[in-house]
Amino acid sequence: MRADTDAGPIPLKIVVAGGFGVGKTTLVRALSEIPPLLTEESMTSASVGVDDVAAVPDKATTTVAMDFGRITVDESIVLYLFGTPGQDRFWFMWDELARGAVGAVVLVDLRRVDECFAAIDYCESRRLPFVVAVNQFPETDGFGLETVRDALALASDVPVVRMDARRDESCLATLITLVEHALARSAVPH
Amino acid sequence: MTRPDGGRVVPVYAVTKGRTRSGGRDLPVESLVTATDLRGALELQSEYRAIMALAVRPVSLVEIGAALRVPVGVARVLVSDLADSGYLTVHAPPPTSANGAPAPALLNRLLEGLRAR
Repeated sequence: MRADTDAGPIPLKIVVAGGFGVGKTTLVRALSEIPPLLTEESMTSASVGVDDVAAVPDKATTTVAMDFGRITVDESIVLYLFGTPGQDRFWFMWDELARGAVGAVVLVDLRRVDECFAAIDYCESRRLPFVVAVNQFPETDGFGLETVRDALALASDVPVVRMDARRDESCLATLITLVEHALARSAVPH
Repeated sequence: MTRPDGGRVVPVYAVTKGRTRSGGRDLPVESLVTATDLRGALELQSEYRAIMALAVRPVSLVEIGAALRVPVGVARVLVSDLADSGYLTVHAPPPTSANGAPAPALLNRLLEGLRAR
């Protein structure tokens, strides 16, 4: 009998972060083998800033939609992808998703670069490996990746890649870059 | 309990008795569970039976939450109940490095698997 007969499949996860409309859902759908599913985490009033509650006086709690997808990697590894809003008011979800994660893909729309700052800060502070993926939009083709690295003040080892979320192979290449980076980071003593 | 049209009659928080946190268990959302006692589960409430049906094969907390249309926190409570009663098994989390990240050997296998696609 093989030693791992009773071990069952091993779940791994990658977080996909970015602002609204930057391509999180497109990426998850491009790679997932299950139909795109949404799940919701309830957000308690304790998780919301006072101003947010004041803005919606009738709601003490609200719900947040979260994309997720699944990739069966081999006979014993299942990879889950979680698309999550990159704003700091959703950190209560991030803490749960980042725990034990392989790393994060931070999607950037160069027309709204500031929307990825919070996600990058989060990954850096938690030492979560991440790659910055510049999703291609027609108006942003002229930007060089080193310009993006400078604009985001990224450490030299953080991969910056250009990606087209509508193309499966482009999304897969981004994940591979992230795992390579996470592996390289795991070899460095913390 | 659900109506024939699929709508919910009893709020799921009634099934969890108002609990949104599970006793003692802090399962990650990607935790996989598998049914072990399908026969005994026939007598359970519908939400529990629905989970048991999904867990015929390994299924994650987040997939259970989506299928039952409940937040993951609620799915976690229901799954913990079933695990505590011996109806299903929670698979052990993956081996990690000291910093809590997946172990390098596991990352290598993930990398090989993704490259082979």
